[in-house]
Amino acid sequence: MTIKQQLQAFFSLILVTFSANSLAVEEGDSVPDFDLPSIHQDHPAIAMAALEGKTVLVDFWASWCAPCLSSLPLYNDLYHKYKDQGLEIVAINVDNPIEDGLDFLLDTPLDFLIPADPDGDAAELFEVYGMPTSYLIDPNGTVKLVHMGFRNGDIEIIEEAIVSTLAGN
Amino acid sequence: MQTVRIFGLLVTILSLLSSCTEVRAWERGYLAKDEMAWESDSLESALNDHIFFSKEASSGGNSAAGGGCGCN
Repeated sequence: MTIKQQLQAFFSLILVTFSANSLAVEEGDSVPDFDLPSIHQDHPAIAMAALEGKTVLVDFWASWCAPCLSSLPLYNDLYHKYKDQGLEIVAINVDNPIEDGLDFLLDTPLDFLIPADPDGDAAELFEVYGMPTSYLIDPNGTVKLVHMGFRNGDIEIIEEAIVSTLAGN
Repeated sequence: MQTVRIFGLLVTILSLLSSCTEVRAWERGYLAKDEMAWESDSLESALNDHIFFSKEASSGGNSAAGGGCGCN
């Protein structure tokens, strides 16, 4: 092997090492399975497998992420609007310590499922690239929408996707 | 001899890379903590800004926008 080939192999190895984001969950993929404790000690654990057959919005959030905090009350409204049609919302909190997330929930009570993922195990499974990121999962467990960030007008995009998925499209 | 040099270069680069780590999206809360700021004392920071403004007739540009969550 020539020196040029050795160098090419070395830099190819570095490129492969730093291209881990290609493993991120994308639209059309199957949702990774996770099983996390609830952020509330007296609530049962939350597993993705137990939500099979439902339309699920999985959202990753943290108390230090301002757009996350503006999105959650709007998700609560969506949950009440569509829960009778089969919508479930799972807002995974990645605060470490989880008390930071609980402090936010004291002021802003939310009615959907909130698992705690302080070590980022589920976030690692999804290869979350930015906060917040939400994933809309259809009843078959297929990712229909991946949405990163939260700006004005984004809630309409997410609601439209929810309505479409609930309708079976 | 040249192979030894190349090998030495690769070992040096690899040893330098071993100190690199990526702060993942869900770990950026650590960067938002007060102790991670360039100047953890806000009073001292404001004083330094004032001195800089008085001397240079300009201000700003000493911090980044956003909360570090990689979302905006």
